[in-house]
Amino acid sequence: MLEVIEGGIQTTVQEYPGRVGYLDLGTYPAGPMDHFAFRIANLLVGNKPGTSALEVTLGGLKVRFGDRRIVSITGAAMQPTVNGSPVPTWQSFEVRPGDLLALGMVKIAGGFRSYIAINGGFDVPEYMGSRATFTVGGFGGFQGRGLKKGDKVALNFAPYADKLAGRRLRNQLIPTYASEWEIEVMRGPQADPDYLTAEDMETFFSKTWKVDRNSNRMGIRLEPHKWHWARTTGGIAGGHPSNILDNGYAVWTVNVCGDQPIILVADGPSLGGFICNATLVHASTWKAGQLVPGRDQVRFKEVTIEEAIRMARDLDAKVSEASVERE
Amino acid sequence: MVAPNATNRAIIDCLPASGERPEVVYRYAGDRFLLLEYGDMVLDLRMNFRIFGLNDAIAKAEIKGLVETVPALRSMLIHYDSLALSPKRLVDTLKKLEENLPSVENLTIPSRRVQLPLAFEDRHTKGDIERYVKYTRQDAPNIINGHNIEYIAQYNGLKDKAEVIEYICATQWWNACIGFWPGLPFMFPLDPRYAIVTPKYNPTRPWTVEGAVGIGGPCVAIYPVASPGGYQLFGRTIPIFDLQQRNPVFKENPILLKAADRVEWVPVSDEELEDIRARVHSGVYQYKVVAYEALNVKSYLQFLESVKDEVATFQKRQAEATKHVAVP
Repeated sequence: MLEVIEGGIQTTVQEYPGRVGYLDLGTYPAGPMDHFAFRIANLLVGNKPGTSALEVTLGGLKVRFGDRRIVSITGAAMQPTVNGSPVPTWQSFEVRPGDLLALGMVKIAGGFRSYIAINGGFDVPEYMGSRATFTVGGFGGFQGRGLKKGDKVALNFAPYADKLAGRRLRNQLIPTYASEWEIEVMRGPQADPDYLTAEDMETFFSKTWKVDRNSNRMGIRLEPHKWHWARTTGGIAGGHPSNILDNGYAVWTVNVCGDQPIILVADGPSLGGFICNATLVHASTWKAGQLVPGRDQVRFKEVTIEEAIRMARDLDAKVSEASVERE
Repeated sequence: MVAPNATNRAIIDCLPASGERPEVVYRYAGDRFLLLEYGDMVLDLRMNFRIFGLNDAIAKAEIKGLVETVPALRSMLIHYDSLALSPKRLVDTLKKLEENLPSVENLTIPSRRVQLPLAFEDRHTKGDIERYVKYTRQDAPNIINGHNIEYIAQYNGLKDKAEVIEYICATQWWNACIGFWPGLPFMFPLDPRYAIVTPKYNPTRPWTVEGAVGIGGPCVAIYPVASPGGYQLFGRTIPIFDLQQRNPVFKENPILLKAADRVEWVPVSDEELEDIRARVHSGVYQYKVVAYEALNVKSYLQFLESVKDEVATFQKRQAEATKHVAVP
């Protein structure tokens, strides 16, 4: 059991890959914003990589443990302490009944979300086949919402295993969270020359985009931009050339609503009537999850399908025992 | 028309139009999704029927590595695992299915008929509109006598409120796709003689009650939860989404409607709706869902042909009326 002393800005129970298979009913998959740090956290405590764990946004979480557990914290640096003493990140450690785990706030160092995995995972009910919290719909996870002071969150039974403490991710595999990011995308589905001009797409790839402070688990807003557009109107779909007849939105696509590009992320809308000029590839989506709203900047790098598949294999291969070393 | 893929890197492949088959374009949407589109960007329910025909064929083909499909008006988003199924192999399979797909006329689409009670100008949508006038826009031309229905009448050249209600209830509403929000249907009239259209709110409305029913362009939607919105409201129905799954109809998941469902409106009074909603929540109301009455496209197209002249007359009447009505 975990008792929440402070819920922090937004702390949710997530599971990977989330609520997959309901896009045709209008439901995005939810799940962790950074699937790499999330899976590594689970790996370090001996869980299957997709096991339910906590996503902490910005920081401020305080929890008290009711039993002896193995814990790991990955992702953005939030200066975690147990009973006031610093504990390592990207490395598993032991907690005992009554221990207080506290996370500070994200500092200049970079990154926006951290992950806390606990051996056994969280004992919350599945909703539509998943334990991932979908913040927009208010379902899944712990009562469909972020954790609050006073919540008592049950953990699954897990036999205590000493040998799970002190496992850490090899140093060279720990990602760096800068304030300027390069995110790999594939062009399309609606790019040039039919929806935007070649010049628009060139600008899209050469420009450094500021991340708007109004960003969350639904969408990451980038600064508005005056596009040239290949069409003068959206025709039957609407007056603006960014309008199209409503179609399904790929998860992690760049949606251009009028002037504003928005990366549609874990809890986004499943369908709509605006073009999407590029789509993040599986191996780069985790970076979007670590963007600091109102501060970070992004450049998009175009990759081919072959490169994207190779990157996905490489990234997924890192989520394995071979990446773990003992303290 | 779409440029050849040599100059359009978003396009994986195309299948040229042939006979009654529209051009098919396969687009990249990252390394896990593919977007398939039929023909030009026009609203034509036949394209939507074909999407459902293809959706059926895909389900039957049991393609290994395919995760899910998202049918929409003239497109389908396909989610696949590119580590198990290469996009090239997926496109090849889809093209083969396309070649073997029956013509639209010969499609029979599994479809459920869902009867939903509808209280026109109910107390809650009235309240939403009142608040809009008070806090958002006082001079909205789309609000007449505290509601949107008289505006809908004017915009479409209909006599009065009663005729709008008659039109809305005279046709079944085809749910072409679900999305944006969990369970939100995008519905179009199957009988074009009653195809009313409206512009949307400007600016959008900060509040809309759960269960509100409204129209934007030619499309009717039901609000699954309370949310902002831009559609002209005409009333309220019963829940189509219930997180708490209080009624047996929500046992499997909290979402009532599926794509390719047909909704029929049954007019009820404001009080009756309140009573039905209470029974929905206590679990005793039985939703009127007639399972799998297939839609036979051939007879539907014959029907369209038979009402062609009436449709043209109505469209002329609409076009004439629209000229004299202010847009929000």
